[in-house]
Amino acid sequence: MPRSTLSGRRVLELLPDGVTDATWEELLFASKAEVDRRVGDELEISVTPDRLDLLSEGGLALYLQGALGSATGLPRARRARAVASPWSFRVDSSVDPLRPYVAGVRVRAPPGRPLDEGTLAEAVRFQEILHATVGRDRRAMSLGIYPTRRIQPPVRYALEPVDSIRFVPLRGTDPVTGAEFLAGDSMAQRYGALGAAEGRCLTLRDAAGEILSVPPILNSRSAGEARPKDRELLLEATGTRPRAVREGLGLLLVVFVARGWSLAPVPVERADGSLDDGSAILEPVEIDLSAEGLERITGAPLAPPEVAAAFARARLTARRARGGYRVAIPPWRPDLLAAVDLAEEVVLARGVRSEDGIVPATPTRGRRRAQTVFRQRIATLLLGLEFAQPHTPLLVSDASVARVDGSATIRLRNPVSGEFAHLRDRLLLSHLDVLAHNTRRSYPQRFGEVAPVVVRQPNAESGAETRHHAGLMIASERAGFADAAALVEYLLGSLDVGSVREPAELPGTIPGRAARARVAGEVVAEMGEVHPRILAQIGVPVPSAWAELDLTALWPLTARRDTD
Amino acid sequence: MTGASGESPEGGTPVALSGPERSILAAIREIPDLPVEEDELANRLGLGLDAVRGSLQRLRSKHLVLVEEEHEKIVSLTPRGKETLSAGLPEHRLLDAIRARGPLTMEMVSSLGLLDDERSAAIGILRRRGLLADGIPLRFKSEVPPAAGPLPEERVLRQIANGERDLDATIVEGLERRGLARTDHRSIKRWAPSDEGRRLALVEEGEESLGALTPALLTSGGWRERVFRPYDVRAPVPLVGGARPNAYVAWLEEFAEVLVGLGFEEAEGPLLETEFWNNDVLFMPQDHPARSIHDALAVEGVVGHPPPGDLLARVAAVHEGRPLPGETTPVGPGWSAPYDPAIAARPVLRSQTTAVSARFLARHPVPPFRMYSIDRNFRREEVDAQHHLEFHQAEGIVGAEGMTVRHLVGLFRSLAEAIGIRDLKIRPSFFPFTEPSIEGYVRHPRLGWMEVFPGGLFRPEVLRPLGIDVPVLAWGVGITRLAMVSLGRNDIRDLFADDLDALLGRRT
Repeated sequence: MPRSTLSGRRVLELLPDGVTDATWEELLFASKAEVDRRVGDELEISVTPDRLDLLSEGGLALYLQGALGSATGLPRARRARAVASPWSFRVDSSVDPLRPYVAGVRVRAPPGRPLDEGTLAEAVRFQEILHATVGRDRRAMSLGIYPTRRIQPPVRYALEPVDSIRFVPLRGTDPVTGAEFLAGDSMAQRYGALGAAEGRCLTLRDAAGEILSVPPILNSRSAGEARPKDRELLLEATGTRPRAVREGLGLLLVVFVARGWSLAPVPVERADGSLDDGSAILEPVEIDLSAEGLERITGAPLAPPEVAAAFARARLTARRARGGYRVAIPPWRPDLLAAVDLAEEVVLARGVRSEDGIVPATPTRGRRRAQTVFRQRIATLLLGLEFAQPHTPLLVSDASVARVDGSATIRLRNPVSGEFAHLRDRLLLSHLDVLAHNTRRSYPQRFGEVAPVVVRQPNAESGAETRHHAGLMIASERAGFADAAALVEYLLGSLDVGSVREPAELPGTIPGRAARARVAGEVVAEMGEVHPRILAQIGVPVPSAWAELDLTALWPLTARRDTD
Repeated sequence: MTGASGESPEGGTPVALSGPERSILAAIREIPDLPVEEDELANRLGLGLDAVRGSLQRLRSKHLVLVEEEHEKIVSLTPRGKETLSAGLPEHRLLDAIRARGPLTMEMVSSLGLLDDERSAAIGILRRRGLLADGIPLRFKSEVPPAAGPLPEERVLRQIANGERDLDATIVEGLERRGLARTDHRSIKRWAPSDEGRRLALVEEGEESLGALTPALLTSGGWRERVFRPYDVRAPVPLVGGARPNAYVAWLEEFAEVLVGLGFEEAEGPLLETEFWNNDVLFMPQDHPARSIHDALAVEGVVGHPPPGDLLARVAAVHEGRPLPGETTPVGPGWSAPYDPAIAARPVLRSQTTAVSARFLARHPVPPFRMYSIDRNFRREEVDAQHHLEFHQAEGIVGAEGMTVRHLVGLFRSLAEAIGIRDLKIRPSFFPFTEPSIEGYVRHPRLGWMEVFPGGLFRPEVLRPLGIDVPVLAWGVGITRLAMVSLGRNDIRDLFADDLDALLGRRT
């Protein structure tokens, strides 16, 4: 779950007085955020992935204000006065193949309360969270924060030859060229490929030619460093997907809206002459929710004032519309996509109590699958034969596969380690591991397991098939092929099927001492004596006989099968 | 037959008594005034005390007698204490001399016949009590001489000599420090037969008693005239190591039976899935972080295929926010990113049993329906005590007209009660495929509130492409964690058990 460390003090200063620890805990339990750890003023908060806004002090405070009732409805994000503004992004067509989308908002501090260190730190920290989540590690979207007083609008967004770029990176002291920056900066090494190609890289430059930043890597020091006491900032997002750009920027706004900053759109002019006035990113989106649809989710009819109050507590504003409600969604709530999401807001704002639960009537008949019952029957027979019942993982190690020549296992492309690297295609692989783990136990050893294997099947949807096998192993001074074959005959006999045994070359067995059993021409079992080379490798001092029934093959052939 | 442990051909271990044990048990059963002290028992039987003690201890280990133990302190005079009692304490003698002779010079004190240490101690004691003035010659501090008669220490010495028990502990302690008295600790044991000891048939030496009940004895009826030799039912028995159901597997089976009892029918799906069934059909965006190579387990050399029919096109439409084929309104806004069928066909180890629910729904079950699946899933995790790449989930869906979030809460309550838990509370949650999404927390008697039931109502973006037009409740249980709590295991790796001795019950 996404998590961050917030300042408790900065959240509390936006809440009414008298919020106790108990109230705090109760409110958060009913939210999608939870406090993992609290050390002094620091709150380590984790949230569900849809409520990233709660990972900022501003966003969490807005939520808590609603839950406490101290402020309800859509927070009033003041719009800066509409005056003719020179601010805009001019987008060069050169960016289109690499990172075509850009958007921005100017945010202005309320009178007498310019940017403070806490808000700046909150914005930068939240920006990084958004890079990692909405931005998919900056691939889909990245954000920038700039002081407007050091920028001369408009801002040009282009892909420029690296030789033409010279600036002081935010974390540096001396000017560097674009090439030096891309080659030497650790951030550039990590993200450079997202913003540079064929000797050129993305830039945001102001009208005076000053570099603001090299997206999505780093800001410049001169025009790209916001500082305490700044009164107005430019928030900007570039990306490969318009939705991610809109969501990232919208979420970042919550930091400033919660503290009463006003917002002004930044138009975007594209090379083809199209102009976006930039206001859509600030405007609440409206989504309709029908009263009927709401009742389908909540399970009870709700009076319109109740619904409006629930939305108000969720910091949304709802008004009556035909057949239901029209709800205004702020830019920092991109999780609210459709009517069903709004219904959830109502449910959660009203609280879900266990005592409100209705036990649904049970008009259905419960049952196990007939195949499961069949497999259980075999497992019970093995217990009756006094075979111990291990439970082994499907994933087996490189070593387990290597010791049995001729295995046709599927290997993981990205194993965590060689210990769990293959999907076993037969239980023999796991059961040799069991023998290896028990060499200090007394002999004879007898164990068996009914469990899944995965075998290649090119025609299957996933290119493989899950089958269930029953594997048996006997390790004792007198264990031999006949023991394994006798067990197979006993098990098949208990299912009322007769089988034919034929010699076979099987992986991991002594040549000439292995066989397959067929029922109606289909292979249903394999058996044999484990090769002494393997026994020596795993330190087993006695002969071992192995048998494996393919229950998936056997199931349709058994006389006693039930319908499924 | 001895009482040795081990296999008994008779079918049990007889209670073996030695001659003295048998005599003592017989005697103690006859004593009316119980419990009886061991020295009295020794006197009655004319046996040595040590022999009686030994036999009583052995009878006790066979649970045939009971013992009450009392600890007692006994204070006595040392030889020097006895002398002092007759001659008087040195300080008494010093007082008497001053009283008789007036102030004493040291030469005069020496003539009293006191030992050096006695003399110094006596002078110190009398000065600390304020009876003697400082300096030499020794004289009373007060003009009125102290009263004659025994000192408190002398009175206690007399009490000790008389065997009295109620003594001034502080004075006794002082006398002990001066070597005049000593305290010994004694334990007194009083014995009585236990119920078993009273019931036990005592077979006399030489009398023929019955050990094993044989077929011959049964046929002849010869057992009727004989006494059965009793067995020591607490004696160790031979170890039996039989196969028994694997505890974790059995636990999963029991949970499945609970679900069957609640009207759920079982479903199953492949462990190697396509991304389509594992994610796409569940409206998980194709670039969702949980689908990355860091979280999901991909395989080499296997080629997957898209799902049959028009399902791929329908799912692609909801991902891209387009209307379903043949419709005019989109189900929802989608993920605003192009849907890639090549990703859909990629094989991946199943990471959630919800894929089984999706496959079940794709078969267009007739409502009302309830389905469950308990099966393995896989996530790319480092293995440690709390995490494993392989784990079980229990997953269930309920599809019927009129199902709401309140029914989901009611279902959580039924599930909690079915596994013996009554306290449940609900909090909001998030899953990409359900809305609303909630989590049920249950209160475990030892571990407190535990998150156990995540669930929600499937989103229209999941149901509509599958052609389902009734609301569907979906829930999943991290059943491996629940099993660990229930089975008292602290390490998830213990659930993958392959220690044969443990599995056969040869050790735990």
